[in-house]
Amino acid sequence: MPRLARRAGVPLTAALLLSAALAGCGGGASDDGSVTLRFVWWGNEDRAKVTNQAVEEFQRRNPGIKVETEYSGYDAYFQKLSTQVAGGAGPDLLQLDRATVGEYAGRGVLADLTEHVGGHIKTDDIPDTLLAGGEVGGKQHAIPAGQTTQMLVFDPAPFTAAGATVPSAPGEKWTWAQFAEAVNKVGAAGSVAGTTDFGWAVDWFEVWLHQNGEALYTGDGKLGFDAAKLTEYWTMVSALRPGKGATAPEVTTKMDGSVQNSGMVTKQSASEIGYDSSLTGYFTSYGPTVRTAPLPSDTAESGMAALPPVLFGVSQRSKHKDAAAKLLDFLVNDPDAGKVLGASRGVPPNSEVREQVCGAAVDATKLVCDHESAQEDKIGPSFGPWPTGSAAVKRDFQRTYDDVIFNRVGIAEAAERVVRDAEQALGS
Amino acid sequence: MTARKVLWHGIVLAALALLLYPVVWLVGTSFKPAEEVLSTLSPLGDDPTTDNYAQVFDGVGEFGVWHYFGNSLLVSLGAVVGNVVSCALAAYAFGRLHFRGRGPMFGFMMITIMLPHHVVLIPQYVIFQQLDMVNTFWPLVLPKFLATDAFFVFLMVQFIRTLPRELDEAATLDGCGPAGVFRHVVLPLLRPALITTAIFSFIWSWNDFFSQLIYLNDAERFTLPLALQLFIDQATQSAFGPMFAMSVLALLPIGLFFLAFQRFLVEGVATSGVKG
Amino acid sequence: MVDTALTRPSRAQAPPPPPRARRARAGQGIAYLFLSPWIAGAALLTIGPMAASLYLSFTDYNLFDPPEWVGLDNYTTMVTGDQRFWHAAGVTTRYVLLSVPLKLGLALAVALLLNRSRRGVGLYRSAFYAPSLLGASVSVALVWRAMFSTGGTVDEALSALGLDLGGWVDQPQYALYTLVALAAWQFGAPMVIFLAGLKQVPRELHEAAAIDGAGPLRRFTAITVPMLTPVILFNLVLEVINAFQAFTGAFVVSSGRGGPSDSTLLYPLYLYQRGFTDFRMGYASAMAWVLLAVVAVITALVFRSARRWVFYAGEEGR
Repeated sequence: MPRLARRAGVPLTAALLLSAALAGCGGGASDDGSVTLRFVWWGNEDRAKVTNQAVEEFQRRNPGIKVETEYSGYDAYFQKLSTQVAGGAGPDLLQLDRATVGEYAGRGVLADLTEHVGGHIKTDDIPDTLLAGGEVGGKQHAIPAGQTTQMLVFDPAPFTAAGATVPSAPGEKWTWAQFAEAVNKVGAAGSVAGTTDFGWAVDWFEVWLHQNGEALYTGDGKLGFDAAKLTEYWTMVSALRPGKGATAPEVTTKMDGSVQNSGMVTKQSASEIGYDSSLTGYFTSYGPTVRTAPLPSDTAESGMAALPPVLFGVSQRSKHKDAAAKLLDFLVNDPDAGKVLGASRGVPPNSEVREQVCGAAVDATKLVCDHESAQEDKIGPSFGPWPTGSAAVKRDFQRTYDDVIFNRVGIAEAAERVVRDAEQALGS
Repeated sequence: MTARKVLWHGIVLAALALLLYPVVWLVGTSFKPAEEVLSTLSPLGDDPTTDNYAQVFDGVGEFGVWHYFGNSLLVSLGAVVGNVVSCALAAYAFGRLHFRGRGPMFGFMMITIMLPHHVVLIPQYVIFQQLDMVNTFWPLVLPKFLATDAFFVFLMVQFIRTLPRELDEAATLDGCGPAGVFRHVVLPLLRPALITTAIFSFIWSWNDFFSQLIYLNDAERFTLPLALQLFIDQATQSAFGPMFAMSVLALLPIGLFFLAFQRFLVEGVATSGVKG
Repeated sequence: MVDTALTRPSRAQAPPPPPRARRARAGQGIAYLFLSPWIAGAALLTIGPMAASLYLSFTDYNLFDPPEWVGLDNYTTMVTGDQRFWHAAGVTTRYVLLSVPLKLGLALAVALLLNRSRRGVGLYRSAFYAPSLLGASVSVALVWRAMFSTGGTVDEALSALGLDLGGWVDQPQYALYTLVALAAWQFGAPMVIFLAGLKQVPRELHEAAAIDGAGPLRRFTAITVPMLTPVILFNLVLEVINAFQAFTGAFVVSSGRGGPSDSTLLYPLYLYQRGFTDFRMGYASAMAWVLLAVVAVITALVFRSARRWVFYAGEEGR
């Protein structure tokens, strides 16, 4: 490159990056002493409608705070957020999920909310089991905006037709062998697979690890399992494929965690493992006939946990942390806000608000509430956020499983590769 | 003669039928009811409906479709003017004039086309922030006025190099300086390249979702593609129908733009009185 | 190194400097005047960010923390310890070799077909351009998946012909061809440039040749092709660069993953994953500069070969 650029470019850019790092961000204080907050999230229009409604109410009660909101789709959201935060112009209040909260908090993007907890942000009515989902490095860096837990969502018709039973009443449970028998029956009987092959998502492997007394990640952000464990798990899942108990590779490879592309909604399978916060999607996209069941387990441990589907965090560089904390508190604890927001981010985190919302619930929201209460005694404490580097682990996990289902690599070798890549990703 | 014409039309139409099938499918799907959008594979649904379009017109954020449309138009026309003017000037210098550093500068310009833009995204964002231009249309338009779309500079350089030098020399003998040659000889003959630049600038900046996403924050300043993506993260399939409808709507203006301007590509160069 | 490799051929292409005349020196100032917008753009918006990305490629920059200098670590890791880097490089190489000739061939064939003044030709031109208008949006990705998935249009059509391949999008051995098809399908830009180039061919030349008794084929090889070579060069260089940088199509069709089984993991898509999902922007910057070096060398070779086959009417003393 031209010498001129080498001479002038690097110091110039370094200076730019530095000034960006030192600059504040978010809205500013205007002349009349009022502050402007930027609050961003991802989600659909329904979520946007109710969130904006809640924000309106907040502004009515706090005339000194003006809130600018912005929302978009998931990919676009994170593309924009990372660019703006890197450029030093992030929002004041932001929405994250389990996969990203550790990545952001671990790199100092989120403010430590400890000083606000009990001050601006009350957490008395939020279960500790759930709050743990927002603790990074032992400090509360994010507050759960809702609660979800794992489920098996299924369409009873094909199961009944195939003579398979699913334990969906409260208190009932089943083993992995019983589960395999049921989905294989459906696969043998009908045109669809018994369940969507779930080996691709690190989330469900995490559940299985907890059932066996292990964890996906250790408390200090290292890998919590070895290749032997993963081999055992993938071998178990892969045994479902030959009998159409689980979907074919061509279907499985398209899974991306979204409801509309899922195996069940695209009518390729009769059931799938998911989070109950997605039930609304299944209800509208698949049909109101869907029901839920607990995940199978061979131990006393269900592996199901109280998890935040999304969390709210305050930017470390925000100039208005107090105002942002106030808004956060309003969104998660205020009964009026709760009424408006309903179950748009999972069932409300605040127990009081949850009772109120679930008491009046109908349709899909009722399904979510019913699942949460039916499984209440099985739901353990939150697994905690995934550490920095976990985004790469999640992606590599799915990519390697692709290789497994297309028979491009043996399971044992694939598992070793996942462990090796994961250790590298977490070490950075 | 007519037989040849018929054959020609036959070949063209056969090729088009094959190439346009996916486009037809897209347009057809925008008229399908929600439950058929992804489940029926034929381009036409069983009972066509305009519901998707109705949803788009009702529901796009707080501003109407026309508002976003206007924003897109502003940004795209800005890009057209910026690229045509600045790239033509630079291309004339690179293609016809002698100056020190021409080779290295041209080489540097080519290199700017080759660097994946994802890695310059953040430094560029920082610059626009320092200039206090985030959340305005400037980051989308200013670069075009500064000839940063090297693609178009290179395009025009290649076209200028095909122009016979005798024309310049004749103009020089008539007393034109370099600016006069540019004005009276090069510009008129460069018209196909200028039109090409205008067409591409318009279409590409209309579709340039990425930059618009990064730089525009307020819904008031959103462009059409940005408003479009509000539909994408719907947790339900019912979002896909309106999304296809939105794509068709976004396609119309650029389609019309192309149709209107491609005529100018037809008119030949250095022809006198022969109808194009 | 990159800089000399690239500029030498273009300097070689530049006409030999004219005899030291007043003209040249007087032209210097006016040349810079013409260049001033471009120079301002480079100084304000291009050089800085490029230098920054080069600097960051020697650091562990993770988007949010201040970058720390790590020397050549990113480059050595890439070449010695990253299988996906080599895999992505292979995928992109195959993509370039397949998509560029296909796209340019289609563009040139259609441009020649439409380069006449018949009724309706404008409408035809626009119809051929229509796929390119669509760009690569989520809707296009959905259309493409519908065309190429198992039981989709292409699957059905091929089955009718007795070729039972199944869906392309969801099988690792065929998925890349869907991206090649997408690129070739959107051949509008090179087609328009070819059309514009064909318009630059002076009609008088054709008329003169016709009077001399040259037939259509002879006129095509002796006049059209040579006059079109600068535009062919332009399209070739640009399409090669574009294909190496192809990203959006793969991103939307594979939902950002490059699957199935990494079969559509184009190099820029992997770079993006490293930079924005793994937050390893230092590494991604290093990847970008490696790509730039490779593409620059290839472009330089194309330019060098161009001296043998490109004809410039505007060159002095050829």
